[in-house]
Amino acid sequence: MTELEHTGKAQHELDHTVQSKKTLLKATAFASLLAVIVFFVAILPAEFGIDPTGLGNLMGLTQLSGQVPVAQATIPQADTIKQSIPDQKDSVDISIPAGKGLEYKFYLSKGDAMRYGWSTKDGELLFFDFHGEPQGDTTGYFESYTVSTAKTARGSFTATFDGSHGWYWKNKGLHDVVVTLQTEGSYKIIGLK
Amino acid sequence: MSFKSTSITIIILLACFIGLPSLVLAHGVDGNTKQFLLDNQGVSIIPFLYIGAKHMVTGYDHLLFLIGVIFFLYRTKDVLVYVTLFTIGHSLTLMSGVLNNIAVNPYLIDAIIGFSVVYKGFDNLGGFQRLFRYQPNTKLAVLIFGLFHGFGLATKLQEFQIPKDGLLENLIAFNVGVEVGQFFALMVVLIAISFWRRHRSFLQFSTVANSLLMSGGMMLVAYQLTGYFWHTIG
Repeated sequence: MTELEHTGKAQHELDHTVQSKKTLLKATAFASLLAVIVFFVAILPAEFGIDPTGLGNLMGLTQLSGQVPVAQATIPQADTIKQSIPDQKDSVDISIPAGKGLEYKFYLSKGDAMRYGWSTKDGELLFFDFHGEPQGDTTGYFESYTVSTAKTARGSFTATFDGSHGWYWKNKGLHDVVVTLQTEGSYKIIGLK
Repeated sequence: MSFKSTSITIIILLACFIGLPSLVLAHGVDGNTKQFLLDNQGVSIIPFLYIGAKHMVTGYDHLLFLIGVIFFLYRTKDVLVYVTLFTIGHSLTLMSGVLNNIAVNPYLIDAIIGFSVVYKGFDNLGGFQRLFRYQPNTKLAVLIFGLFHGFGLATKLQEFQIPKDGLLENLIAFNVGVEVGQFFALMVVLIAISFWRRHRSFLQFSTVANSLLMSGGMMLVAYQLTGYFWHTIG
C-alpha cells in the first residue's frame, strides 16, 4: 500500500496512481480470491441453491434461493393437499373489468401437473400471459408458457419449479369480461392477485 | 496514519458492505412495479420517471462502475465530462434498444456490466500502464461501457411487452428518471469520497478500495454468467 508513485504535484494532475507490479499482482489476486470465496460460499447458495461448500446451508442462505424443500414450509399444506387429494377439481368465474388486467394463480410444486381450460362468457377476445414465478424469487423473474390473445384455451401443464403458476388476463375492451376457468390436478389455489 | 483516519476508513468500508446486501435485494424490478408495467396502457410520465430513478439508485452495478469512474477525478469539470459521456452512452442504447426491439440476453449484458467494474478497478490501480505500458483512452472507455449499461437498462424494460401506445414518451420519462437517479446517487458518492479524500487514508486505502471494486465486479460477472447457464441451458 505504500508503493504509490506520485509526488505532491502529480497528485493533482494525475487521475491515476500507478502501482508497482507486485502491488498490482497482490491486488488482483486478493480481488479474485475474495470474489471466488463470496461466489461459492454466498452467491451460489443464496441465488441458485447450489451449495458446493455446505456453508450456505449451514448459514441458512440456501433457503433464499427457493430451490430447496426448506422454503416449501412457508406455503402451508402444499404437501398435505398433494398427498390427500391427488386430483382436485375446481371451477371459478373471474370478472375482468374493462381496461384492466387480473392475475389468477395456483401454487404447484415441481413435478405437479394440472389440466386447465378457460373461456370468456360471451366469446370476447382477451390478451393473456400464462406464466410461472419461482417461489422466493425477488428479482421479478418469471417464465411465460403462452402469451397470446384468445377467447378460449385448454391444455395441460407440469410445473418445472416450485412456485405460483397461472394466468394474467388483460381486458382491452370497453366492457367487463367474465372468464370461466376450470382446473384439475394437484395444486393449491392462490387465487386473484 | 492517524487513528481517526483509520476509523473513518473502516466506517466507510463497513457501510459499503452493510449497504450492499440490501441493494442486492432491491435490484431488478419488484412485484408491484412488474404488475404496473404489465397493466399500464398509454402515457404515464411520472411512474416511468420514478421506475427509472429507482432502478438507478438501487442499481449497484451501475453505481459501482460510477464510483470507479469518479474515484480519481478531483475536478468538478472532469466529473461532469465523464458522467456526461456515460449518460450519452447509456441513453443511446437504452432508447434505440427499446425502440428497435433489439433483444440482448439480460444475463450476458449484466455480465459485461460487471466486467466494466473490474476493468475500471484495474484501470484505477494503473494496471494498464504498468503491465502494458499503455493507457487506453479513459473517456472512450466510459462512453463504450456506457453503451453496454444502456443495453442493460433496455433489457429490464423489454422484459415486459410495453404497449406501443405511448412507448416513446414513457421511454423518455424512464431515461430522464435514470439521469435523476444517477444525479442523486452521484451526489451521495461524491460527498462521501470528498470527505474521505481530506484524510490521508484515502490514498493509503485507494488500492484496497479499487481491489474491492474489482472483486465486486468479478462477483457480478460470475453471478450473471451462472444465471445465464442456469436459465438458458439448465
